[in-house]
Amino acid sequence: MNRSSDEDVAAALSGGQPDALALVYERFGPLVYSIALRALGIRSDAEDVTQQVFVSAWRSRDRFDRGRGTLGGWLVTITRNKVADALRDRQRDSRVLLRVTGGASVTAPEAPADRVVDRIVLADELAQLPEAQRLVMVLSFYSDLTHEQIARVLGLPLGTVKSHIRRGLQRLRSRLEADGVAY
Amino acid sequence: MSHIDPDILALRALGETAGTAADAEHAASCARCRAELARLTEVVRLARDTDPRETLQAPPPQLWDRIAAAAGVSPALHNGSLNGAAPAGNSAAPSTLPIQKEQVAPEDSRESRPSRRRLAWPRGRLASAMAGLAAGVIIGIGGGVAVSQLSPAPSARVVARIELSPLPQFPQWQGTTGTAVMRSTASQQEIVITLRAPARPGFYEAWLLARDGVSMISLGDLSAAHTGTFTMPAGVDLRNYSRIDISLQPFDGSTQHSKASVVRGSLPAAALGAGATSRG
Repeated sequence: MNRSSDEDVAAALSGGQPDALALVYERFGPLVYSIALRALGIRSDAEDVTQQVFVSAWRSRDRFDRGRGTLGGWLVTITRNKVADALRDRQRDSRVLLRVTGGASVTAPEAPADRVVDRIVLADELAQLPEAQRLVMVLSFYSDLTHEQIARVLGLPLGTVKSHIRRGLQRLRSRLEADGVAY
Repeated sequence: MSHIDPDILALRALGETAGTAADAEHAASCARCRAELARLTEVVRLARDTDPRETLQAPPPQLWDRIAAAAGVSPALHNGSLNGAAPAGNSAAPSTLPIQKEQVAPEDSRESRPSRRRLAWPRGRLASAMAGLAAGVIIGIGGGVAVSQLSPAPSARVVARIELSPLPQFPQWQGTTGTAVMRSTASQQEIVITLRAPARPGFYEAWLLARDGVSMISLGDLSAAHTGTFTMPAGVDLRNYSRIDISLQPFDGSTQHSKASVVRGSLPAAALGAGATSRG
């Protein structure tokens, strides 16, 4: 999947295509769920928030303006709001519990840090890269290999590896600029 | 004055020494190039900074039905990819990400297994993280084996690159592919594994398999990333433990091989030469 197909998904949603929600969920389900899970820590809570995000996105699809931002960025914003709501509910529940039990203080949960969201967005974009480029980027990030070694190991021309790296970094950067929070 | 070549900037963002003295001089005086480098460096930092819990995770397959029902839309999907396979994008796209720092198994992998399982997260979370992350993984060996003698690198020398592939008796893993790269550093031998496999309940784990086909040593799990880096256990005779096997393991608490071999392959003879017994 590439940039243009992300735009196709956004166009499907804007155009009110009946199967648009399925397309949006297929493309962005892991992103939304991962952010929710990281923030909430409990699978069932993350599932509930994921459901709320996509249902809300579907119902308010008229408010998604492709001219003002990306679909991914819009969904990240909705996710952060729903996560904040879920954390507030939890805090309220724990205060009630506290009154009932007179127990020790309950630590307030924290909203996901902006950098955490950005790292998941980055992971999402990395997963969208074509396989060869993804492998080059993964080796660049997580192994000690230089680009020359990567070229030899993968049997790719040096120029190809360099261009994978340059374009890969630029693509990750564009995605972070569009959909990230702190970046 | 011409700006720094974008290729060079990208390599510098990754921490490589690239470019000429003129480039360095230019960077010192050009705000635009400096800003560009800073932005790319931040991307690299975010990528390298990633916590295993922040990898991309696939939602459980049944969640879509709930969402479709709540939104009042048809639950039909385009390629059925949410029914347990890669959840995102086209059917060939991996659903998870290789976003994890190196996984390094301690010297004795047998000893290390229990501690590896004793991760910092509650089991449910770990399980969900792994289940999601496993979605796109693979490893196999056995197909083509390419051995390249490479020039000495700053820290590691690549000894071999091995294509991994499924066993003929397990047709369900056809299409699974992967790569294992063996490398030597001054003190140890490491193997970097990249997998591309479908999402399945459980997680993928890498093993060294002995010639008797029975004895095996766990290298570690690959579920949190498509890529894992493992230290070859010290003192292991790689002439005996000469095969790499990737299994699909259920979340049953057992540390034994599940007998579900996904892909397998042999270490190339050249890689077993001088360093036949893995240094510690």
